[in-house]
Amino acid sequence: MRDVAIIGAGMIPFGKHYEDSLLDMLASASLKALDDACLGNQTVDALYVANVGGGILQHQTAIASSLADRISLLPAAAETIENGPASGASAVKAGLLAIASGYYETVLVVGGEKMRAGDGAHTTDFASTMTHPQAEYPYGVTMPGLAGMFARLYMQKYGLTTEHLQAVSIKNHEMGALNPYAHFRKPINRHEIFDGPQAALNNPLVADPLRLYDLCPASDGAAALILSSVEVARRMGRPFVVIAGFGQATDTQTLAERADPTDLRAVTLAAQQAFAMAKLKPSDVHVAELHDAFTILEIAASECVGFFPRGEGGAAVLSGKTRLGGPIPINVSGGLKARGHPMGATGVAQIVEIVWQLRHELPPERQVQNAQIGLTLNFGGFANNVLCFLLQRAEP
Amino acid sequence: MSQIALTAYRCKHCGHLHYPYHDRCLQCKARQFEEIHPQGNARLLTYTAIFNLPYGFDQRSLLLGIAEFENHIKALGQIKAESVERLKIGMRLKAVWEPIRPQKDGDIFGLKFEPLEE
Repeated sequence: MRDVAIIGAGMIPFGKHYEDSLLDMLASASLKALDDACLGNQTVDALYVANVGGGILQHQTAIASSLADRISLLPAAAETIENGPASGASAVKAGLLAIASGYYETVLVVGGEKMRAGDGAHTTDFASTMTHPQAEYPYGVTMPGLAGMFARLYMQKYGLTTEHLQAVSIKNHEMGALNPYAHFRKPINRHEIFDGPQAALNNPLVADPLRLYDLCPASDGAAALILSSVEVARRMGRPFVVIAGFGQATDTQTLAERADPTDLRAVTLAAQQAFAMAKLKPSDVHVAELHDAFTILEIAASECVGFFPRGEGGAAVLSGKTRLGGPIPINVSGGLKARGHPMGATGVAQIVEIVWQLRHELPPERQVQNAQIGLTLNFGGFANNVLCFLLQRAEP
Repeated sequence: MSQIALTAYRCKHCGHLHYPYHDRCLQCKARQFEEIHPQGNARLLTYTAIFNLPYGFDQRSLLLGIAEFENHIKALGQIKAESVERLKIGMRLKAVWEPIRPQKDGDIFGLKFEPLEE
């Protein structure tokens, strides 16, 4: 296996794109990544397109074939990759393996989702289709519902409180406000959302004990990367990013069947694999993007990845350890909570953010100073399919 | 107890208990299972009330929980209670088999839990 580089990154702002089709968004992000990689008039060997809901929400299938045609990448090989909310990271993995094997030299990886088109009940039902078809889905359980049950257990076991969950939400909204690509670009007003007389109205229960501001939004958006061999990357004559480590693991589909439902075993295993491949340890990481679809998941994942001992992730957020400027800044992009969560795009967008961080291209107010190593963690389902990447800055 | 039409699967090789069905044992990969059914009352392991329901439910909220039966089968079910205030981790529940999801061609039946007075 040879080393794989990321030589291009681009995305469109996440949020509401009522005027744009799914293909419009995928095309826009792809062209930005191609331009960033200085491949404006060239093709790639292959493209991997992450999308979850095109068949259900847009009545559109074989999206990768459409995109290859739309942005003139013919006759490049093209596949659509669906792995629930981890589709983005799975598409990056497909590109990684294709380049590492030596089969392809340059590939496009793009993820996109259009989730704001339908009504809330149908979008909620769409997301719920990733639950178990007999033991969970018929009961009406939703992803927030699973997170609510998980949070209640976690709070009881580790003494976590709503104050810890709110600290994640406040931090990620603060960072989202600085990110021009974020769905929510407004810091949380603590009085309006958490403490004041209108708080219960502005921040209603969604899945007890989780409230609206514990949840990521359903977003429209797309993000893209260009992967190549390191030889190609070096010829560009500028700093680039190497995929230093990768890991992936699965867990039981139902939460009920896990021996300890508070243990995100697939997160631990995926991270261990990635650290072993990269010959790095959690304390080497300078910046991380974790899958905070729910505030509780950022805390739990920060422990299972190895940044903090079990049960200490909540205190770490409260004490500022995960803020920009802290020892391990988490979700400087705003995370899923504030940047947004267009399912198929999320895993790619996490890596786009880390690429920008490692190339030191961001404005000072949201740049992690001298960041050399970054980590991403993307979930499919309720932590039952988890992908972890370790990314490292490289000089030409 | 009303007839609970829920089947769990005990591995004939290592004894590992499964619900729902798997083709191979999650612990030892064996493929032979003994079918078993919930026995006795259940104990509530965790719970939630959801207020943003998926398409297909015509109600304001839904109480859901994971509970463990006396013979250690663990399963998700709906909870028949007025609110979460009535619920507590560890409380005893009675299980019934009732409609859980309306469908055009007939309701889907499943597990519902009723809190037992302590």
